[in-house]
Amino acid sequence: MTSTEAMQDWLALEHEAVWLYPVIGARFDALTERARTSYGQHRAVRDRLLFRLHRMDIEPVPTALTYDVGRLVTKAQALAAVRQVERDIAAACLTLAGESVGELRTYATAGLRRAALAELTWAGRPTAFPGLP
Amino acid sequence: MVISRRALLGTGAATAVAAAGLGGAALMHRLDDVARGVGIEPHSEPDPADDRLIARVAADQNALLARVEATASKHKGLRLDPFVAISTAHAKAVGVAATVPDIAAPPAGRDVAVRALATAYAAASRARAADSGKATSPALARVLASMSAGLAQCAHAVGDLR
Repeated sequence: MTSTEAMQDWLALEHEAVWLYPVIGARFDALTERARTSYGQHRAVRDRLLFRLHRMDIEPVPTALTYDVGRLVTKAQALAAVRQVERDIAAACLTLAGESVGELRTYATAGLRRAALAELTWAGRPTAFPGLP
Repeated sequence: MVISRRALLGTGAATAVAAAGLGGAALMHRLDDVARGVGIEPHSEPDPADDRLIARVAADQNALLARVEATASKHKGLRLDPFVAISTAHAKAVGVAATVPDIAAPPAGRDVAVRALATAYAAASRARAADSGKATSPALARVLASMSAGLAQCAHAVGDLR
């Protein structure tokens, strides 16, 4: 995998997060505020990734029409779905950290940290090695 | 055939071995065995700068483990078990010290002790992120970046114990 492919994988997951958080916020009143904050954060990250890829003259991966995140009927299912997308983002950032050097690795490490902390926001627990299988 | 222990660090095998409760030299031998067992490609000779980096990280993480254990022992009501487990996994991934490092006694006040621990985790998280940037081996860079994220989670979660 190249660093560009790793960035595209990360971007695809940011597209998914930008799709998921409004769905969660609309369905669960108790989660609306938190979902709005997370949505804003992921939109900002998505925009920065788009900017980076455009600057490298690379066509960014497009959004999907919808995403398979499992059932979103209960609050527990909603929490599990957002934790999963944050875990997937952590794993994608970790791959990028290994495939890059310098500023891009620093950027990936910051993304990993952000995803690991987001997991806690959504009722996750600390783990020794976020992003590792 | 030279198999760097770092060939394993990105695979999760190091974590699995850490969970098995091995440390130090035993860990390195075991990692080589595990590498052969799972058919991981041999790695090139370890970079000396990476070896120095691992030694420094090991010293730092062992000191942090000693600090968490000392705080857990002094403030038994704090439920620090998950944090001891995480710091143990971190220390085992980079090499457990043969002797317990010298550390200052944890603060007597519970809140002060929690704050001190959160600060220590946050500092370790920043240090591992910077170390990740210095690593030559991509696998080592990944382990240190992941460790940094885990330490950031600990800083946050320990702070919530108050």
